[in-house]
Amino acid sequence: MKRVGVFICHCGTNIGGVVDCPKVAEIAKDYPGVVYSVDNKYMCSEPGQELIKKAIKEQNLDRVVVASCSPRMHEPTFRRCVENAGMNAYFMEMANIREHCSWVHASEKDKATEKACDLVKMAVAKAIMNKPLQKATIPVTDRALVIGGGIAGIQAALDLANAGHVVDIVEKEPSIGGKMAQIDKTFPTLDCSACILTPKMVDASSHPNINLITYSEVEKVEGFVGNFDVTIRKKARSVDMSVCTGCGVCMSKCPSKVDSEFEMLLSKRKAIYTPFPQAIPNKPVIDRDNCTYFKTGKCGICQKVCTLGAIDYTQEDEFVVTRYGAIVISTGFEQFDHSVYGEYGYGKYPDVITGMHFERLINASGPTMGKIKRPSDGKVPKNVVFIKCVGSRDVAKGKSYCSKTCCMYTAKHATLVTEKIEDSNVYIFYMDVRTGGKGYEEFYNRTREKYDAQYIRGRVSKVFKQGDKLIVRGEDTLLSQAVEIEADMVVLATAMVPQADASKLAQKIGIGYDKDHFFTEAHPKLAPVETHTQGVYLAGACQGPKDIPESVAQASAAAAKACGLLSKSEMLTEPIISVVNESICVGCGLCVPICPYKAIDLKTISERDHGKTIERLVADVNGGLCQGCGACTVACRSGALDLKHFTDQQILAEVNALCL
Amino acid sequence: MSVNEVQQNKEVEQNWEPKILVFACTWCTYAGADLTGLSRLQYPPNIRILKVPCSGRVNPQFVIKAFQKGVDGVLVAGCHPGDCHYTSGNYFTRRRFLLMRRLMEYIGMEPQRFQNRWISAAEAPKFQQVITEMTEEIRTLGPNRKLRDDQW
Amino acid sequence: MVDLTLEIRKTAKELLEKGEAKVVLGWEKGNFPYSTTPVFIDKPEDTERLIWDEYCINNLALYMLDYKHLDGKVGIFVKGCDSRGINRLVQDKQLDREKVILIGLSCPGMKDEKKAKELGPNADIPMAQKCQDCRYPDPVVYDVFLGEKQNKKVPEKIDTSDVEEMETKSPDEKYRFFTTNYEKCLRCYACRNVCPACNCKECIFDQTATGWLAKANNVSNNMFFALTRAMHVGGRCIECGECERVCSVNIPIMLLNKKIIKDINFLFGDYDAGLETEERLPLGGYDYTDPEEFM
Repeated sequence: MKRVGVFICHCGTNIGGVVDCPKVAEIAKDYPGVVYSVDNKYMCSEPGQELIKKAIKEQNLDRVVVASCSPRMHEPTFRRCVENAGMNAYFMEMANIREHCSWVHASEKDKATEKACDLVKMAVAKAIMNKPLQKATIPVTDRALVIGGGIAGIQAALDLANAGHVVDIVEKEPSIGGKMAQIDKTFPTLDCSACILTPKMVDASSHPNINLITYSEVEKVEGFVGNFDVTIRKKARSVDMSVCTGCGVCMSKCPSKVDSEFEMLLSKRKAIYTPFPQAIPNKPVIDRDNCTYFKTGKCGICQKVCTLGAIDYTQEDEFVVTRYGAIVISTGFEQFDHSVYGEYGYGKYPDVITGMHFERLINASGPTMGKIKRPSDGKVPKNVVFIKCVGSRDVAKGKSYCSKTCCMYTAKHATLVTEKIEDSNVYIFYMDVRTGGKGYEEFYNRTREKYDAQYIRGRVSKVFKQGDKLIVRGEDTLLSQAVEIEADMVVLATAMVPQADASKLAQKIGIGYDKDHFFTEAHPKLAPVETHTQGVYLAGACQGPKDIPESVAQASAAAAKACGLLSKSEMLTEPIISVVNESICVGCGLCVPICPYKAIDLKTISERDHGKTIERLVADVNGGLCQGCGACTVACRSGALDLKHFTDQQILAEVNALCL
Repeated sequence: MSVNEVQQNKEVEQNWEPKILVFACTWCTYAGADLTGLSRLQYPPNIRILKVPCSGRVNPQFVIKAFQKGVDGVLVAGCHPGDCHYTSGNYFTRRRFLLMRRLMEYIGMEPQRFQNRWISAAEAPKFQQVITEMTEEIRTLGPNRKLRDDQW
Repeated sequence: MVDLTLEIRKTAKELLEKGEAKVVLGWEKGNFPYSTTPVFIDKPEDTERLIWDEYCINNLALYMLDYKHLDGKVGIFVKGCDSRGINRLVQDKQLDREKVILIGLSCPGMKDEKKAKELGPNADIPMAQKCQDCRYPDPVVYDVFLGEKQNKKVPEKIDTSDVEEMETKSPDEKYRFFTTNYEKCLRCYACRNVCPACNCKECIFDQTATGWLAKANNVSNNMFFALTRAMHVGGRCIECGECERVCSVNIPIMLLNKKIIKDINFLFGDYDAGLETEERLPLGGYDYTDPEEFM
């Protein structure tokens, strides 16, 4: 028989003014298992806690019930208290007779007292069923993985590395830099994007704690917080990185020309290439799909011209498995495929381009050397029309959300057009102008007032060609009249969407994603960089549309969270997790899809059955991943799965106690 | 007068008060009930809250069991969809209890006796209102005899 | 059906002789003209016992659990309902599809053995209720098929008119109906034992120490049993109606199962369990757009 001690707190008059605490203490003496019951003015005070500790020793108690305020307030206090008296912390149960009783039934003292008795009775019944639980420790590997080497990934890696942790950046492209590398100028300061990004890229590549793993992708993630075993596929570069000096002779001699992705297909690159001149690492890869040697077996010029013998056609994809303590995901965004907007003529008219094309057109190292020229004929456009919200805020055809950056970059583009082209006119079709951010509204006002950009509120219904011009037909909803503009060039502010394979990556790592495939944070307000998988953090636009300052801030936040985890060699795990009774488990796996943390797997066990060794499946809970929600237990028909500290039997004991 | 009615009258005479069991998830509804207390919003003293980590932990069998043992009403409450501390627990709760509620009603349990609500940690007035309404509804219905195990 | 009986025997014999199957599951004639029992044949010469007639009503799928750890394959004859039972077991990971050879048979609908017993040998015996309700007389999965498929036109949706009728009654009427029926329940668990969806290693109702179900046989405990079992097979019931058929006290068990099937169809979209083995189970997932009634 268990020996339960009951401690009723008056909380001054907070409880005692309504609930007859001495009476509750008296009645509790008759509850099954209770051997000691007492009331006290302030249970949480030093003397109150001493009273509990003394009673544990003198009365030889093995369970303690404290009836006081909400456990959300003082559960840690009383757990520590009983622990100090040599009792397992989880042998302590609380009955909430303040928030849930005295404070809400102030005028019904008798009934409040009766309710307090019931609450104590339930807590006693549960406490008797409580089992000792121990926090376990798991080792933490001091190494972080950053997935995606854009500005967010670079920032997170630098912060982690500066804090003394080893970081690997996995980047699927041949160079780090991401979208920011393609951008010409940044709003609202109009400083050159490359000028602020490339030093950071160099810092990352030269940092002793950072390893760049470019042209590589995450293949598989196993394990859990502190111990993620990540398989990385290093795609075959066909260039021996250890030998290549990046002299570039191979690139200049290569005869195969391909549209450059970095230049938004506005110019050509070679089949052996670096995406852009400042690429890091500045060593080329061979694009095997477009290389003459790989297509026909003939050519081999690059190999001939490379005096160092760095070209290796026989290279194969390599898989490496590394253990990481923490993962920061910073895979960024892509542009929305706006081909659904046939009315805008994208793809049909070369002079209808996207914002990212425009970035390359105005970039001094871009295909036009920074001269704004029409892709069709190279003429300098005079009338430029910008269409905002292409794909954003359009439930019917695009995405329901606002892409957040387009208002500002369109204002920036408008400014740059006016600055670079004399006598130019800029027209901007918009739904709303949203300029939340430091200095953003001022920038927008300047664009309108000083640069004279014409903002037209309304949607464009059609873009069509008439001679040399693109006719943009729309409506000015403020004036309620149709508008038609003869444009030389049309720039679409397309929505930001996550990487096409974002959901696949999320599934590999075991994190959530929303209906648009942006990764889901653990809590939208209080845990915006954490995910539901402990040890996995989010940075940048992979979590939702963001501009550069926000991405950088979130990256540093994610790095700080990861640092907190990596700074210790081991971490404590919550003992309230699901457990499997293997002897009952039939291995049906109905629990597996329920777990939001992918903490349940099926494993094969072998056992003796009628004189024969048989193998069978049973559920297996990964204690490092399980967060103790208990949703799986309900899916288990036979009750083989149970949640520690909230077992079926504990809950049933409370239900029974209520009704006795 | 049926046996049920005789029994009911007997209990009403003995100053019967509804007894309602509330399964509350730690993160939203339990915290909401705490806030109700902090705000001193008063409600009838007929409920007993049983804390569970997540509404997804509430096995429909607990509900039947509670009625067997003699409670007059059961409320299962948790975080609003999208707010679950564990991402998706309440979505499973919703599926399970959409079925369970219909099943209970189907076998003759008055729907007022078994309810489900989303109550967030901020919704103290809602908590107060739900408890007050439910208590009154059950008071009108009288003591529950259905599914009750007479041993108890 | 006589021809098919010969074919069944031939097929079973071949499987056993060639060693492709170690055991073959089928039906044999029982003690009465209106009864058959499942039979497990492991010798080629015993295949003569196999028959195929209008009383081969047993769903054989569940017996596969007995051969879970057999080294070698099992041949099993499957009607529509047996095949859905097989899918049930495969999806529940209780059966390795590779370890069974499914011999498909098109079911004309079996006769009601209880009625046959009552009405005598010369009467016109009606079809069993479960067969009247059946929407998949042809097996949904098989390796070999004997005879011809009927491709019978069947209703697209399960007939839940009896459920709907029950729903219109008052709470007290409904409660009276179910408790009057479950008062009779002996808790013999025949319904569970015959059910392909009830494939736990140790059933919760057999675990006396857990406190879920008291031994006392009263209507309260019987209702706990009934409702819990209905929820446990919810979304997984293959509508074979075996539970109701084997009930020795004639409880209309399918009224509960069909209620849940009806609600799943209405709430989460049409779903027929046991048609395949990969799709997400109704209670194994959720949709953000599920009906919101909790408010």
